[in-house]
Amino acid sequence: MSTSKKQTRRSFLTRSGAAAGGVYLFDIVPSRVLGLQGQTPPSDTINFGHIGIGGRGRGFLRLESNLGQKVPASPNLGGDGSRYLRPARSMALCDIDASRLDQAATRVGGQPRMYKDFRRLLEDKDVDAVYIASPDHWHALQTIMACQAGKDVYVEKPACNTIEEGRAMVSAAERYGRVVQVGSQGRSQTAAWQAANYIRAGRMGAVRKVTCWHYASPDGDWTPDSEPPQGLDYEMWVGPARWLPYNSKHTHGAFRWMIDFGGGQIRDRGAHVMSIANWIMDSDHTGPVSVDAKGEPPHDGMYDSAVSMEVTYEFKNPDWTLVWAQPGVTSTEIEARYGAIYWGDSDRLTVTLGDGNGTATEPKARDYAAQCDCGKAFRSPGHSENFEDCIRTREKPIMHMEAAHRVSSLCILGNVAFQLQRKLEWDAGNERVLNDDEANRMLSRPGRGPWHL
Amino acid sequence: MPDDKKFLDDLQSESADVRFAAWRQAGEASPAVIGPLGKLVGSEKPGVAKAAREALTTMTHAVGKDTGAANRAAVVKGLLDLAGAGSALPVRVHALRLLSGVAGEGSVAAIARWIQAPDVREEVVYCIERIPGDASIKALLAAYKDAGDDFKPRILAALGHRRAGEALALSVEAMRSPNQEIAVAAVKAFGRIGRKPAGVLRPPEEKGLSEWQRIDQLDSLLRYADAQAKGGDVAEAMRIYRSALERPQEHWQCAAIIGIAKIGTAEAAAAILPKLKSNHRTVRITAEKAWKSMAAST
Repeated sequence: MSTSKKQTRRSFLTRSGAAAGGVYLFDIVPSRVLGLQGQTPPSDTINFGHIGIGGRGRGFLRLESNLGQKVPASPNLGGDGSRYLRPARSMALCDIDASRLDQAATRVGGQPRMYKDFRRLLEDKDVDAVYIASPDHWHALQTIMACQAGKDVYVEKPACNTIEEGRAMVSAAERYGRVVQVGSQGRSQTAAWQAANYIRAGRMGAVRKVTCWHYASPDGDWTPDSEPPQGLDYEMWVGPARWLPYNSKHTHGAFRWMIDFGGGQIRDRGAHVMSIANWIMDSDHTGPVSVDAKGEPPHDGMYDSAVSMEVTYEFKNPDWTLVWAQPGVTSTEIEARYGAIYWGDSDRLTVTLGDGNGTATEPKARDYAAQCDCGKAFRSPGHSENFEDCIRTREKPIMHMEAAHRVSSLCILGNVAFQLQRKLEWDAGNERVLNDDEANRMLSRPGRGPWHL
Repeated sequence: MPDDKKFLDDLQSESADVRFAAWRQAGEASPAVIGPLGKLVGSEKPGVAKAAREALTTMTHAVGKDTGAANRAAVVKGLLDLAGAGSALPVRVHALRLLSGVAGEGSVAAIARWIQAPDVREEVVYCIERIPGDASIKALLAAYKDAGDDFKPRILAALGHRRAGEALALSVEAMRSPNQEIAVAAVKAFGRIGRKPAGVLRPPEEKGLSEWQRIDQLDSLLRYADAQAKGGDVAEAMRIYRSALERPQEHWQCAAIIGIAKIGTAEAAAAILPKLKSNHRTVRITAEKAWKSMAAST
């Protein structure tokens, strides 16, 4: 859809203001435009575009029927339930799969603008901010291009597929002064905040070790390559990644078991569990000095990401160790499919999951938070609410791009060490591997076709 | 070192676990098996093809850590043979991707021979782009001369990605191309290289560009300005930033403000000052933050 000849709200206001010879349009507009009588002025309504509206992306849609009403924030995105989302509309939708686009448009209602090419959505001057929930290998480029087009961004985790991508995303957000929130929403969960305050207050002494557990990845099977289904722009789906023929078992939903597209559990859930660890351990602007990995990939089948793995990260100043293990050792305190145990000098604390609704911690941390309003950690009102607050204030959100890049770096380096089956010495300042030529080449990935950082 | 025949037999076992055990130990295999492995990559049995691919990958990783590793030259030689026109396309592609991780400058000329071949040129550029050193830059520059117009932007992207100062003159010249795809790709490369040209900079006229080409061009010029500011050529940086500051779109103004604030001179402060009263909230807040950061750093 072309918007070049369409009269947009903003262009109308601009032209009208000019035509009025300096008399502001506000003199003649209805009170609702000014936000009087309890109504929200249009300028305070955030116009969202959505890039990628599959399983995850659908959760960010704002239904037209809810416009003007109080919409409670999704518990999946954190917060204590006392807040409502800011007024917003999903005015533009984009997906390379026509069937998903149609379904999302029906769900949203009204007449959202629909695009198959995300560049056209980013050109839309009426779009203030975008939710990006495309496959992981697109996150970096679409975020960078959104910043270039002047949009604020909420991009799903993991932030990026290479170290170079992550650094380029940080640069783009900084260059344009954009708000970029990455969807590691565990930081916005109450339990994470309680745990952060409990640990940072020194309630269990210094934490020297954090051990994460997660169930293993699937090992997959063999599904023959085929022609892409009608309506799916597969060339665009692959985008900047290395080309391989279409296969239903490496696209929608299943892409994450391929290193080139997703990267397995460590990059999917690691971006949640280790996000909280980095936050609690105050490591949002640094990284480990070494990364060692062992484990096994699938013996057969089409997937190539680790089925089982144990990655050990050593941090210095302060000294602590982070372990990502699938399956790893589960908590005896709280039953959960994944999470982390924080090992202090005198005690330990479990924080489960780290993403959606089930994130939990132990009573001692909950009780401490309830008794003591001495929180050292920022309390997010909820991940989307925090993002939308920051769109107005221009402050950095809780999962800002640098923090997300550092968490993604852990996931990426874990996979590189796993692929190479050797220990890497990491210079977190210069973001280079000190002892491995091939590993350094794996920190970046040249683009493909027209898609480049 | 495993027996070559047993190693290859195990890779073709009916048992996935036996195949896995074989490819897991491929790092110890003789480079002489690379040729036979290439044939197995083309096997109709997907499990065998995977085992062969993984064995080649493991052998490559085994010599990847140190440029002087024993067997590295032999492994690279074997992969170069697989990447040649005599192999099936999936084998060539896999070999080129592996070469991108371990090939050195001495292999660039051999790889660059295939850069004009339509079916593998994308993979060849990818491979060369990843090989450190001057040889890969020279190969890309040489390839540009012979490339068709449809592939010139891809080579320019590689040169930009490499921040190849040797490509500065080419990027400045190519941005005058009547082909807008080439011209904008040249501006993008120029912005990423970030060096000041000797002559006059003449990027394409904006009015003839698509919306995204305009965005790419402005973004690249801002990258160039950032590099100039960082390198101490404040006047050149300010020239670009001022141009962005005068644009109506708030994000170009914000980018200019953020860039100018890093310069931190009285001239920079004077340029930001009017934006403290901007009607656009985002511009105003960005200017306020910039102002504070400049004040804090003086």
